[in-house]
Amino acid sequence: MGVLRDMMTALRGGASEVGEAIVDANAIRILEQEIRDAESAIGSAKQSLTRMKSSEIKLKREIATLDTDIADYERKAVSALNANEEALAAEVAERIAELEAERGEKAAEQGALDAEVQKIHAMIKARERTIQKNKRELDKVRTVQELQRATESVSKNFAATGSSEHRVSKALERVKAKQQNWQDRMQAGEWLEGQEAGSDIDAKLRAKGIGTPAGSGASDVLARLKAKQAG
Amino acid sequence: MTLDDLAFHLNDYSGEEGTTFDALVTERDILEVVCSNNDEFPIHVTMTETQILAVTPLFNLGEVKPDRLDELNAIFLRLSPAVPLSAIGLQGDIYILFGAMALSTRFEVIAHELEVQAENTIDVLEAVEHLLD
Repeated sequence: MGVLRDMMTALRGGASEVGEAIVDANAIRILEQEIRDAESAIGSAKQSLTRMKSSEIKLKREIATLDTDIADYERKAVSALNANEEALAAEVAERIAELEAERGEKAAEQGALDAEVQKIHAMIKARERTIQKNKRELDKVRTVQELQRATESVSKNFAATGSSEHRVSKALERVKAKQQNWQDRMQAGEWLEGQEAGSDIDAKLRAKGIGTPAGSGASDVLARLKAKQAG
Repeated sequence: MTLDDLAFHLNDYSGEEGTTFDALVTERDILEVVCSNNDEFPIHVTMTETQILAVTPLFNLGEVKPDRLDELNAIFLRLSPAVPLSAIGLQGDIYILFGAMALSTRFEVIAHELEVQAENTIDVLEAVEHLLD
């Protein structure tokens, strides 16, 4: 099920008004239900997997015991043959045959169990894919719902101001005017900084007696007058 | 990060280009962000389980000159790839600019995306201004 297609169908059906649910609430519930179903199916599948795994371990152990027993009897049969105890060897051979039959049964059982385990693994994977897919779909729905909510909160403002002509142009003009203002202030700030830096240099120069016009102080005037008087 | 956390950090933050933010969580649980580089078109921020969505409502269908709608839509389709951090869309009857980020996005990156979205809003609107009433 494609949520996007459903949404477009709803839109074509006229559910384009802001505030109107363009995603069927039912569709969301179905997606959520599918996720929950898949999750619980995975849960019980994992439980049976655990049970099967313990059966398999038990079977493997039994098969290993049988293998040891068979090997043991085979050695004994060979010993009996070496000791020319033909009848005893035949008896042991019969026992071996019994054990081998038992081993065959257990191995078949293990094989069946193995196949079952593989099937359950595949099932879990499929369910997990369903969950992931549904979660992605749900996320699309939630995205649309949130977009709708986020847009809706201004739609009322738009309705109030939308009737005014050139709303966007006027807003753009204001933004640009503010940006220009800001730039002007930045430039003014840079100019002022330059000025301050400049007057700073002048002050430093004065402090060192550099660049001060000669003979401008009162003491210079007095000295000049005294020189005149003396002359 | 929750919307409240985001608001708290944004109000205290200044972007690399000197942009400041005025962020407020509304009663409807939407974070309204005014960026100093464009204070006429606030960004509405909301979250899903996986994403942060930033929506700038641009204008109403009704504000488009009736005979220029196709032209406007074509321009928007062409513009979309040129504004990589934001996409242009239609939500109900309202044209929107929106961006989506992962919930795990670092705060500085979110702030930068909002700053760029505010700037993109001006660029996009300038491109279609002549088609609006």
